[in-house]
Amino acid sequence: MTNLDDAPALVSLTLSFRPLATQIGPLRTLLSDLCKPHVADPDGLSRLLLAAHELLENIVKYSVGEVAEFHLRLEARASGLLVRMRTKNRAAPERMADARWRLDALAAARDPIAHYDELIRESAGRRDVSGLGLARIPAETEMALYYATEQDWLILTAEGRASERVSG
Amino acid sequence: MTTLQLGAVGGEGFQITPTLVDFNLRLLFSGSGDMNATSVVNEYLKLVHEEAQRLTLAQVSCDFKQLTFMNSSCFKSFVVWIDTVKNSEIRYQIAFLTNPNLPWQRRSLEALRRLATNLVTIETIA
Repeated sequence: MTNLDDAPALVSLTLSFRPLATQIGPLRTLLSDLCKPHVADPDGLSRLLLAAHELLENIVKYSVGEVAEFHLRLEARASGLLVRMRTKNRAAPERMADARWRLDALAAARDPIAHYDELIRESAGRRDVSGLGLARIPAETEMALYYATEQDWLILTAEGRASERVSG
Repeated sequence: MTTLQLGAVGGEGFQITPTLVDFNLRLLFSGSGDMNATSVVNEYLKLVHEEAQRLTLAQVSCDFKQLTFMNSSCFKSFVVWIDTVKNSEIRYQIAFLTNPNLPWQRRSLEALRRLATNLVTIETIA
């Protein structure tokens, strides 16, 4: 995992909140407003916001308990603009098992796009939950997705290059 | 005379508006396709398929020019719809019309095109 904490951040945001569906749109707007001045590439900003949205929805859909956390850090490096997002939420045992299964399969996949395509084909015949949100992050945003657990807490980290260039 | 039995749906933040020209049904999506829109999209695409079968349409075009975002649950509704068309006896083409200023659209929709390359096309509109 890249150590982003060594350099000063262009944006560093930490939220601790009780997640609600109605908060996701305004949060995405806030993240866009905070990051847009620094991200020269519109496609990079679009990828960053897509990953943020799916991570936030994942919290809203599957967290249990009162509090969840969301952290975003945007940082300029010689190689470009790096972003790291991390969520932390408590999860019910069945959800935790499902998330671990999906994320382990994702980590084992050589090609995230081929893996995503396979999940899409499998999901076509199912009418229940999407199951595509987390796999969409590496497939469509080119970000790496990691997870860790602490008892019943699920911690997801998405990180990658938001842009080759930094605005300003 | 062919009459469209499909109305506009949605509310604040998300809408779908249909128009029928010859045998091409055009669906104008606007707003943000997030958690609040998921059930609307899911149910609407079922009605679109019924209507396309009833009218033996040649094509359904999804105009995303004003669609600012689509979450994975709404995306899944399109997966189910495309799969339904793919497995139907009476098929029709599905065209996605994208906004070049919204880069997520092209990337997301490419995955739908790969699901049924003979049915799905993606076009960029100014």
